[in-house]
Amino acid sequence: MAAENDRSPLGPVHGRRWRATWLSVIGAGLALALLAVALVQGRQATLLNQTVQIGDDYIVLTVYQAETEYLRLRNQWARASDPRFALDRQTLQLRYDIWVSRVGLLHNERTLRVLANQPEYRETLAKIDAFVARADRLLGEKADQPLTPAALESLEPELATLGEPLHGMSLRAAHRVGEQMSERNLAVRQHNQIGIGLTVFLSALTLAFALLALRQMRQLEQRRAALEDLAASLRLARRDAEAASEAKSVFLANMSHEIRTPFHGLMGMLSLLRETGLNPRQIDYLRTATESADHLLALLNDILDMSQLESGRMTLAPAPVDLRTLLRDVEALMRPQANAKQLALHLDTDPSVPERVMADPTRLKQVVFNLLANAIKFSDRGAVVLDLRLREGSNGTPELEFVVSDTGVGMDEATVASLFNRFMQGDSSRSRRHGGTGLGLEISRNLARLMGGDITVRSKLGEGSTFTFRIPLQPVADAPAPADAAAAERLPPHRPLRVLVAEDHPVNRQYMAALLENMGHEAHFTANGQEAVQAVQHRSGQPPFDIVLMDLHMPVLDGVGATRAIRALPDRAAATVPIVALTADAFSETRDRCLVAGMNDFLTKPVNPQKLSASLRRLFGSASNAEAAPAAERDEPLEPTGTPPVVDLAALASALQSMPRERLAAMVHAFLDQGPQTAQRLHAAVRDAQPLELRVNAHAARGAALNLGLAALAATAGALHEGAAHLPAHEIARLVKRFEDLLPVTREAVIAAGLRPPEAAVATR
Amino acid sequence: MTTTRRTLLHAATLLLLGAAGAARALEKAAGAVVLSVVGGVRSPNEGSAAQFDMAMLERLPQTSFTTRTPWYSQPRKFTGPLLRDVLAAAGAAGTTLRAIALNDYWVELPFDDAMRYDVIVARLLDDKPMAVRDKGPLFVIFPFDSRPELRNPIYYSRSAWQLRTIEVR
Repeated sequence: MAAENDRSPLGPVHGRRWRATWLSVIGAGLALALLAVALVQGRQATLLNQTVQIGDDYIVLTVYQAETEYLRLRNQWARASDPRFALDRQTLQLRYDIWVSRVGLLHNERTLRVLANQPEYRETLAKIDAFVARADRLLGEKADQPLTPAALESLEPELATLGEPLHGMSLRAAHRVGEQMSERNLAVRQHNQIGIGLTVFLSALTLAFALLALRQMRQLEQRRAALEDLAASLRLARRDAEAASEAKSVFLANMSHEIRTPFHGLMGMLSLLRETGLNPRQIDYLRTATESADHLLALLNDILDMSQLESGRMTLAPAPVDLRTLLRDVEALMRPQANAKQLALHLDTDPSVPERVMADPTRLKQVVFNLLANAIKFSDRGAVVLDLRLREGSNGTPELEFVVSDTGVGMDEATVASLFNRFMQGDSSRSRRHGGTGLGLEISRNLARLMGGDITVRSKLGEGSTFTFRIPLQPVADAPAPADAAAAERLPPHRPLRVLVAEDHPVNRQYMAALLENMGHEAHFTANGQEAVQAVQHRSGQPPFDIVLMDLHMPVLDGVGATRAIRALPDRAAATVPIVALTADAFSETRDRCLVAGMNDFLTKPVNPQKLSASLRRLFGSASNAEAAPAAERDEPLEPTGTPPVVDLAALASALQSMPRERLAAMVHAFLDQGPQTAQRLHAAVRDAQPLELRVNAHAARGAALNLGLAALAATAGALHEGAAHLPAHEIARLVKRFEDLLPVTREAVIAAGLRPPEAAVATR
Repeated sequence: MTTTRRTLLHAATLLLLGAAGAARALEKAAGAVVLSVVGGVRSPNEGSAAQFDMAMLERLPQTSFTTRTPWYSQPRKFTGPLLRDVLAAAGAAGTTLRAIALNDYWVELPFDDAMRYDVIVARLLDDKPMAVRDKGPLFVIFPFDSRPELRNPIYYSRSAWQLRTIEVR
């Protein structure tokens, strides 16, 4: 390839030059040949013109007529000089005049040109002229001698001598013209030959031209083919590169998992270590270790964000966000850092900014946090100010604008220009001083762009910098704010739970054990998915597990496989146990895969007490109602507070008005007979995590039960229908079980209400 | 097409002239006869021929032009009546004209030539009468200089000089 590169630029250039030379040579040849053809044709035209203009052949007639008239004059002259005849003066005069007029034509310059080189021509003309001069004294206009036969006779010998030269002249003229004709013919023939030669030459040149053009076209075709090959190989190379990049991001995700798993354990252990009564020196070491671990975690998070942004797998989860609360949270985090550097920190929100907007709170916080952290990091004195305001965007739509300005070191233009590039920090000296991955700004800008906004910067060396982060304003429809995570965290803790943790990593096991025990839960462990499935099944007298925390990456059977196996268990209680994924993959695909497999929730590592607690609360509610509700259910499972009666007698009565009792009884019992099948289908839908199927089945059951006045069954089916999409699996399972349990109870109630089963009716009859 | 139109025009002209001729017959030649029109002649003044003396030709509308010819080395001025006027005066009708010279030289020219071109029967050369030895007294001459298509041997030969008779066929 390199050798080809060295050679190839010379080859085509040389070839091109050669071809250009040949083309110009042939072009010049063609032009010359065409010019020559034009010349030959012009020459032929001139030749023809000469013939036309001179009328050389006409001269033959002129001389011939002069001779004829001479003979007629001579005849008349002889007659006139003969004394025997009367002198016919008039006829002689006419003949003489005509002859003289003919002779005049011999003096014509055209005649002269044809006959000039005949020596006797001039002689003859002189003789004729001499005779005419003498005869004119008798016959001319100014005749001075009397016209007598004697006078005529004296001149006759002289007239007679003119005969021979005139005849000679006539012959000469004929011959001369003949010669000229043949000369012209020869010239025409020569021109024709030249013309043929030129045509042949022209044809050859045209042929050469055509061949060169053909060659050129073929080369173009070859070059095109080569380019296509190149394009194909480039496409292939790009696909390979993309595959490599894909592989890299998968590698990055895996590595982050691999790193975060032990790291997660390490951090957990550090936090547990703090509680073990250390001496001040140990506490100091521990703090340093924790700081390093925090830093490392920040780096890991940056790398993970980057890999997600790069692979386009980063998705935003917009939710109503209270902007002022968000800024307060950020301020609470940043204030200690600002105080440590004795910097003033002002966060100001314009009153026009709405209370709540739709945005991804985590990512929004991340960007604002990054900008503020940078501002504080690069300022040594003065103030860091964040202004949140509303302004009109470039296309007229309202935008939120976070303006973070500092009084820090500032940047020159070159630095600003390369600021958002990867691994770029203000400058190398600063990066040494301040540390960091250098990914922060790139991530922030990418996130801003993902949100439909951007980050711009204005800075001057030594005068601080202003970063402007703007995103389109997405207002929240006026609805009551759902309890946010912070609110959930403030709720009191829930009841003690029996927790099965499927986790292969011993450190993580220890960490999770400590975490769960601290929260008052009872933790059991398995090292892989297979064991987890067995543990859920074989309880051997033990109470069932309330929840399974499932690591995704495990030997023997991974978390997703184990979840599928559990959901497929015949034991209904075991199959519906809530399962929460534990993973270091924050990719949304992973989350989807978990939920599709039948998991109820998804926790990313490192798992901290807040996250775990929030998840447990989502599944089991807070302690107060968690204590109350199951108790109530256990006490009177079929009649929870406010539950409708098993059979709605009023509805039955109205149904009986429109149909006979036997008919209604048959329908009710048929429905109750189908009940177990319905329940089976509901179970299957729960197990296969098919909320839609669950909804459809529940809805059908509810409709039928309502019509038949089976109020309790209808209410349960209705609850299933409504909760299919959002209730945790174990709740749904409980509802399905209740549906099943209600079937015999309902049958008893309807028989009690006087609707006997059709078989009984037949038997009675 | 053009030929048809020309023929029609020609016929119309002849009709008009014929009518004129019938109304005012050609007078008799008083002086020496210089030109006889014979053959298809409807206004004869001497037997079946229409004879003209120099004065009669002079009384017809005169046309002059200067042109180069093969017979003179310089352009010369020719003056005389248009051939078609002469023919009209004679009431000539036909397709071909035979111009006969004093020396019995003759040449035929289409009747149409007289209509299409301003052919004159020249009686003056450079405003002077032409003697026989100067190819006179009458010279049929085509306007060679103003009509390039006439500059070829065919029309040179149709320019009969020392004209004495026109035979209309």
